[in-house]
Amino acid sequence: MTVARKRKSIVNRGSFRVLGIETSCDETSVAILKISKNSVEILHHEIASQIPVHEIYGGVVPEVAARLHVKETVELLDRAMATHYSLLTTHLPFDVIAVAQGPGLATALRVGIDAARTLAFALEKPIVGVNHLEGHLASAWLVSENRKHWKFPILFLLVSGGHTELVLMKDFCSYRVIGRTRDDAAGEAFDKTGKLIGLSYPAGPQIAKLAENGNPRAFDIPRPMINDPSFDFSFSGLKSAVRRLWEKMPQVVRAKKKTRVDLCASIQEAIVDVLVAKTIAAARKHRPQQLAIVGGVSANHHLQERLRQAVKKELRGVSLLKAARGLHTDNAAMIAAAGAWHFRRGERHDWRKIDAQPEWDL
Amino acid sequence: MRNVTLKHGKDCKRFRVSTENDWGELAEYVAGKLKPGSIVAISGELGAGKTTFVKALVTALGNRRSVVSPTFALMRSYKIAKRGNLKRLLHLDAYRIEHEHELLALDLDEELGDGHTALVIEWPENISKWVKKQVGVTAVIIK
Repeated sequence: MTVARKRKSIVNRGSFRVLGIETSCDETSVAILKISKNSVEILHHEIASQIPVHEIYGGVVPEVAARLHVKETVELLDRAMATHYSLLTTHLPFDVIAVAQGPGLATALRVGIDAARTLAFALEKPIVGVNHLEGHLASAWLVSENRKHWKFPILFLLVSGGHTELVLMKDFCSYRVIGRTRDDAAGEAFDKTGKLIGLSYPAGPQIAKLAENGNPRAFDIPRPMINDPSFDFSFSGLKSAVRRLWEKMPQVVRAKKKTRVDLCASIQEAIVDVLVAKTIAAARKHRPQQLAIVGGVSANHHLQERLRQAVKKELRGVSLLKAARGLHTDNAAMIAAAGAWHFRRGERHDWRKIDAQPEWDL
Repeated sequence: MRNVTLKHGKDCKRFRVSTENDWGELAEYVAGKLKPGSIVAISGELGAGKTTFVKALVTALGNRRSVVSPTFALMRSYKIAKRGNLKRLLHLDAYRIEHEHELLALDLDEELGDGHTALVIEWPENISKWVKKQVGVTAVIIK
């Protein structure tokens, strides 16, 4: 049977299972999703940085190494198969393979892609290459409550260590980036300003924690481009401003706990102000049915709360969708979900030709 | 206002940079000297203007794509046209690199050896051993 006819029969069966593979940056992850007409079920999901790596490697784990990706990808795939392979029916636990194709590090991406194409060739399964950013958008679709409200167009704020983008999703697989950072990502602004004031990297979650007890108006931090008519962001100047502020501060003032919590609260407030203002302005112009926040920084409670309030006040009838718990950062479940969107439409890649696209835009 | 020092072998030049225009002129100067295999190592504190300089350099090389910080992605690549054999500028940020062996994952030697590629590095201090082994490195120090 040709792959095309096989696909048809899978889709007609009403449900299909997607094996997702993600290796675009630091994380290695493998997931299996079951997609039915009215439900999406995560059958299996593992992110390598969450397993006790220290025991396996006996020490510090280098953050980036394609070699580690190789080892981890094989181990994760092996475990996924072993857990879900049925000896009784000898059925493979998936019908299609979805793999993150870019953007990301070429050498890291290729590990996942090579694993995917090997499986596709050996097991005669179709393969779909997925944009990593589209995967992040799909992380909101993995919440069943969100799927009930899934009405296009949806405006996404995608915020992470490497990305800050406003994306208008017009339909499944149809996107328009309407704003993006011109220099640093929002997550990077958190991490680097945190580092400047002596927190360890990555400092984002620590800033959020310390900010809880601080005064967000204690320091005057700039809100770059907040009044700019475009929906683009810039966080590099904010970083420099914090540096200047910190350098001018006498040592005794720096050492005070209050200084630090106030500064964290002020930094967080500045970043969140810009993110919220731009998102609401973009929503006013493009009138989406729903608003969604995804990506690592979207786990920040203050950002969630401020955006929720702003949506309630400024955008009638729009609700705020959030990524599934634990799926804010890079993971394979979201890659499998986005792969399912494409697979449902009949798209697939030739395993002989699929390659990494490190600079792939949405 | 920044003081920028360029060092290439025994050559040493100093520039004072304050406006975007100044960054542009400095970038034009550095861009004019780039060849395949060239490495530009940019040092400076957080917020000193390293990425700003790379932005200007990519513009000077005729690519209009906006340069964003590669801290998280580690490396980004920019296409270059009309510069002879030089077809690509790689932008590496070693900020997050803790151990030099992590560089292996990037295949830098291979990428640089393809005859079409130049490399700019932010935070070269983090991979100083590798940088010292290279020839044709221009150091840009921003203070």
